[in-house]
Formats: sequence, C-alpha cells, structure tokens
Amino acid sequence: MTSTATAPAGASPATPGGGAWRQEVTDLARAATGALLFGIPLLYTMEVWWTGIQATPVQSLVALALSFVAAVVLNHTSGFRSTRDVRLADAVADAVEVVGLSIVLAAVLLFVLHEITVDTPRGVVLGKLAFEAVPLSIGAALAGQFLHEGRDGGSGGGDGDDDDASPDTSPRPTLADIGATMIGAVFVAMNIAPTDEIPMLDTAMGPPRVLALLAASLVVSYAIVFAAGFSGESQRRAQTGLLQDPLTETIVCYLVSLVVAGGLLWAFDRTEGPWTISLTHIVVLGLPAAVGGAAGRIAI
Amino acid sequence: MPDTDDRRRTGPEWVTLAVSSLVLAVVVVLLIGQIGAGDEPPRPTVAVGAIVGRGESFEVPVSVRNGGDRAASNVQVTASLRVGSSSTEADQTIDFLGAGETEDLVFVFADDPADGQLTVAVGGFAAP
Repeated sequence: MTSTATAPAGASPATPGGGAWRQEVTDLARAATGALLFGIPLLYTMEVWWTGIQATPVQSLVALALSFVAAVVLNHTSGFRSTRDVRLADAVADAVEVVGLSIVLAAVLLFVLHEITVDTPRGVVLGKLAFEAVPLSIGAALAGQFLHEGRDGGSGGGDGDDDDASPDTSPRPTLADIGATMIGAVFVAMNIAPTDEIPMLDTAMGPPRVLALLAASLVVSYAIVFAAGFSGESQRRAQTGLLQDPLTETIVCYLVSLVVAGGLLWAFDRTEGPWTISLTHIVVLGLPAAVGGAAGRIAI
Repeated sequence: MPDTDDRRRTGPEWVTLAVSSLVLAVVVVLLIGQIGAGDEPPRPTVAVGAIVGRGESFEVPVSVRNGGDRAASNVQVTASLRVGSSSTEADQTIDFLGAGETEDLVFVFADDPADGQLTVAVGGFAAP
C-alpha cells in the first residue's frame, strides 16, 4: 500500500523563508477557525465549565488524552494543514499542535470571558482547559474538511460570478455577503442566545473584557475569511465592489453579526433592563455570531 | 510497506511543534502534580468582611472558600441577624465551588448588624 501527500484545491505549498512562515500562520489560522466553528457553543456552556471545576486531575488527563487520540485520527484523514498528514508520525506531531493550540485558545477566551482569572485555583483552570480543549481539538483537526467550496471560487462550488476581479461597484456582492453573514450568524448564535450563559458572562466581565471580546471577535472574523486559507480567499481579497475591502468587509459584517445577535436576544426576551446591559449582552453573543457570520460568507 | 510521503516539516512547523509540546507538557505535568496533592472532601468555609452601610440598608460581604481538595456543589450559605426580639434570615446558593476556589457574596439587612448578633454559616452542600 502506498500513500501520497495531497493538497486541497486552492492551497499553496509551503515555500522557503517568509513563505513558510506565511503558510504556517495560514495553517494555524485555519486550525483556530475550525476549533472555534466546532467548539464555540461549548465555550459558552456553563455545564462544561462546571465539569472542569468538578473534574479530578485524572479525569482531566483522560479528557486531554481523548482530545489527542481524536486529533491523531482526524489528522490522519483530514487535518488542518494544506498538505494532508499521511504518516502516523506527522499526524501525531500535528495532534500535539492541535491540542496545544486548543489549550491556548481556551485559555485566552475563558480569560476574556472571565471564566478564569489570575485568582482562579490552578486545579480549576486546568480542569476547564482540559474539557474545553476536547471540542476545540476536534474542530481544529477537522478544519481541512470545513468550507471547501466557496461561492466565489474554490473547487467549483460557486456560481462563478465573483471570480472576475475587475472593478465592480455594484452592491450585489456586498448584499450577498450581508445575507450570508446573517444566515451564518443566526445558525451559530441561535443555539446560545436563549441560554443563561449570556447574562452570566455579562455580569462578570466588566468593560475591559467586553472591549477585548469585541476586538477578538473582529480578529477572528477577519482570520476566518481572509487568513485561514479557505477556498476563495484570494478571490475575496481581489473583489472591488462596494464595501469589499477586507477590513471594511470585516467591520461591516461584524456590525451585521451584532445586529443579528441583538435581534436574537430580543426575540428570546433577553434585552430587558438598561440599554448598557443589553449592549454588553449583544457584544458577548457577538463572538459566536461573528464566527458564524464569517463562516457563512465562505460557505454560502 | 513503503511510504512515499515525502513531506518534510518546515522550520516554522518545528517552532509550532516545540511551543505546542511545551504548552501540553506544562498542562500534563501540572495535572500529574495535582494527583498527589490530596483528596480531602470539600470543606466550604465563610469569612465575613467589613459591613458597609448604604442608605437605610447594611451590606454584609461574605467570602466562601472551599478548603478541600474536591469541588462542592449547591453550597448553601445562610445568614441570620437577631436584633432585640426580631430575627431576619437570608440564604444564597453557590452552584459550584471548586477546590481552593472562593466566591464572594453580599447579604443585605435593614438593621445594622452591629446592633445585634449576626451569624453566617454554610448550611449544606453536595459533594459531586
């Protein structure tokens, strides 16, 4: 039996020097994107936090081991890199990276969400990180399978209209992006909007963390669409229509995600009280909405 | 079986692998270190802070700390204030309190606790 390394359509092989670093950043952005797409609902689930609080060190180690084994298996068949892992040694090495990245991602987001602080006991921090790393690792190792087909390019899944990079000032691509953002944001944020986690997180966070979450949402939204190397990325960068500049598109679509988050919170009767609290609720729900919205722009 | 995969890890990939290995190793070592740290049952205790008067009410800050090695759930904290012949009682519940974790609560009374006898205690908890 022989096996070969293959690269998905649209992926560029690693090149020496700066190209290798750029490729590595793209691969890591893709892994983080997969982790968030798969794991963000569980990052916003209090039962997972509580499981981390209750877990014994042995249970936390078992959770990490499960993450690692799942990542090895998934890396062997999918993975997050533009080149597929075929050798077991590569799958194992990439699994270490997947679990390590998931731990860092969980630590940063749980810190921003005030679920871990500098005063949180070490055992509680480790438990929460170990259990949150499970869905994040699975998502990161599946990243190569996510969102292969872009509406504006990739391996033929789009309508082809947006492949033309010639100047286009028509609002059609922008309207399509806004629609896709709304659909993706609803798809992900609707699972979280009616839960008690939003007010729980909101009351504990405080303004600096809310601002950090806002910044993180923008970075994640940009990374998913313009840095993670999903198909259609180069075409998206070349688009010249209304609001199609990457930074402008990211900000506009984040605002659309916030509107969707606000609408969902209103629909689920979660906007009572002072407007400042409602605004914070919206920003807290804005991260999953932005993740969904960015994925929607690639997928639809 | 021959393996024709000729993928070689690039320098940046080795850097990522090194950093990831370090992160994972630190977490695993810390968890292993926790295994031998003790197995005491949950032991939530309360500490009453400085009472603050706000208008016509008095706030009693209470810190609840779990001094055991296991988590406690549904930790019920009760506070009763007896002033003269009248008695006021209040209680709060903490969903989960991890080993070594501290939660801060505030009880509010209409009477000044300095004029009577204030009792704050853990009423009970579950050991999951």
